[in-house]
Amino acid sequence: MKRYAYYMSCINESMTKEVDRSIDFWQKDLGLEFVKLHEGTCCGGSNLDYVSPKHFALVNARNIALAEKMGLDLIVSCNTCLMTIRTAKKKLDETPALKKEVNDILKKEGLEYRGTSEVRHLLWVLVDDVGLDTIKAKVTVPLKNYRIAPFYGCHILRPSKVLGRDNPLAPSSLDELIEALGGQTIPFDHKNRCCGFHTLLVAEEESLNVAAEALEEAINAKADFIVTPCPLCHTVLDGYQSKALKQAHIDSSIPVFHISEMVGLALGYTAKQLGIKRHIVC
Amino acid sequence: MTEIIDQHQEGKRDVTFRVFRFNPQVDSKPYFDDYTISAERGITVLRSLNYIKEHVDATLSFRAFCQAGICGSCGMRVNGISKLACTSQVWDELDKCREPGIIRVEPLRSLPMIKDLIVDMDPLVDKMTRYSNWVDSTMPLDEMGKKEFLISEEEFQQYDKATDCILCASCVSECSILRANKEYVSPAVLLKSYRMNVDSRDGIHDLRLAELVKDHGVWDCTHCYRCQESCVKSIPIMEAIHAIREDALEKRGPRDTSGAKHAEAFMEDIEKKGKLVEATLPIRTNGVVWTLRNLLPMAMKMIVKRRTPPPPPLVKSAKGIKIFRAMFREMTEHVKQDHLKSHKK
Repeated sequence: MKRYAYYMSCINESMTKEVDRSIDFWQKDLGLEFVKLHEGTCCGGSNLDYVSPKHFALVNARNIALAEKMGLDLIVSCNTCLMTIRTAKKKLDETPALKKEVNDILKKEGLEYRGTSEVRHLLWVLVDDVGLDTIKAKVTVPLKNYRIAPFYGCHILRPSKVLGRDNPLAPSSLDELIEALGGQTIPFDHKNRCCGFHTLLVAEEESLNVAAEALEEAINAKADFIVTPCPLCHTVLDGYQSKALKQAHIDSSIPVFHISEMVGLALGYTAKQLGIKRHIVC
Repeated sequence: MTEIIDQHQEGKRDVTFRVFRFNPQVDSKPYFDDYTISAERGITVLRSLNYIKEHVDATLSFRAFCQAGICGSCGMRVNGISKLACTSQVWDELDKCREPGIIRVEPLRSLPMIKDLIVDMDPLVDKMTRYSNWVDSTMPLDEMGKKEFLISEEEFQQYDKATDCILCASCVSECSILRANKEYVSPAVLLKSYRMNVDSRDGIHDLRLAELVKDHGVWDCTHCYRCQESCVKSIPIMEAIHAIREDALEKRGPRDTSGAKHAEAFMEDIEKKGKLVEATLPIRTNGVVWTLRNLLPMAMKMIVKRRTPPPPPLVKSAKGIKIFRAMFREMTEHVKQDHLKSHKK
């Protein structure tokens, strides 16, 4: 069993509960044990870093320190949480004075940020730790009749000096996972583009234009569904889909899955169990 | 395939450039021309285009000048990515082709086309004017040219990287929001605005900031990091954008615009619960009327699917919230001290 500390993203506890639920179904099947960090707090959602850089460092040093206390790597299933926490980690590792200031405060809770735990995405654990061969061997219901559009989202790729796992111009990890599950990835120009999530409440029209472009490409390419490793991208591409397509005068629709659901389907769990029926488009 | 590899190792091979062509005076729509030339290892995309123009097709139009990554004239999309043709090696690009051996060359996006690979930079220049992208000097006119206007090393470090910008417009071409709305300020202009706003010799900081927080300004950036990733000078453009926002929150307050309110909500929620209270985020950002008008139909669908975020009282605080809150507030005291110190300076 490979053990990890699992970071609970705010959105997965509210709007996209199906992410954590579907992981619970199959984690043991793949030899994984995710220990949920109930003490973890919101990472700041790529906003706290400029609202207050020091609070941003404190909050995320603590999130990582909780995992370090258990001697485990911190696993994240939201792109923005991943990018945000990794950005804080880089800053703390490169700025000894900040690390000391933060640690002086963390002492109160008996915590210390040392920089010993890695912060990684669920997708990377699947592809790099479990391995594609193991995943292939565990598949009971191959996704062989499905044409799948891989939508990586921004914050698992960029800024590349913070993320670094995939080539931001030609990412491959999600494509490899799809193929290991027996699915067919389609060429998808929008695979490394933006979903528009972070301006939904500030510049809605622009955000929906951004989302509609990606949806349109997947629809025109006759994909059966889009899959994304990010619940924020999912929220736009699924939840806001009808609004985005209406704004772009496109009369069509396409389902959008989380990677955790796609893995669950290939391992034999049903759409109902995995929460796919809870999507807006299904 | 083996033939291609052999050629590759030899250091000379035939390469096809599939180049975007469009002359609005003659053509009803754009098309692509293929030019196959024998290219040596070490040759750049720009030198290849120069060769094509001199020896194959004199009608091909593109901008170029210094050939050394300094002037920023030859920004274009090579294999789909905005960059300088003069610093792009053909051999590197061959590894990135979708169709083996064919390098696609297209004009920058989000700027009007003039001809072939040439785009109109005027909209960008107009925005630089609108956002006053120059130092409006505080030095009295009669002293100008008579004495130096010095800045500290520490201050220079703040905008050292930003002054590397050569206005090639690669970031403009890659920007997600500009693609969605041409009115958007654009990353290059935000970078310049940041650079001017942290310059102590400049006297119109507040005026510039007031313009930046308006519609289509700094709050419309969607944090996709495409600008930073495509910057040919590796300038951390997102850091500049974040710095403008930080400055706006400090100077204009957290209730200034919907963007500021949205950002500040994260701080409030983390301090209170350690978790984001998503249900009220739209109301706190844009008010009740906007929320009802824009989100009600979607909220109904979400209720049916049981995926609405829980109302504030039902958002469970993170475990151990009391001690977390105490630590968070201790950091607030540190930040206050930092502000006092910097204002004394």
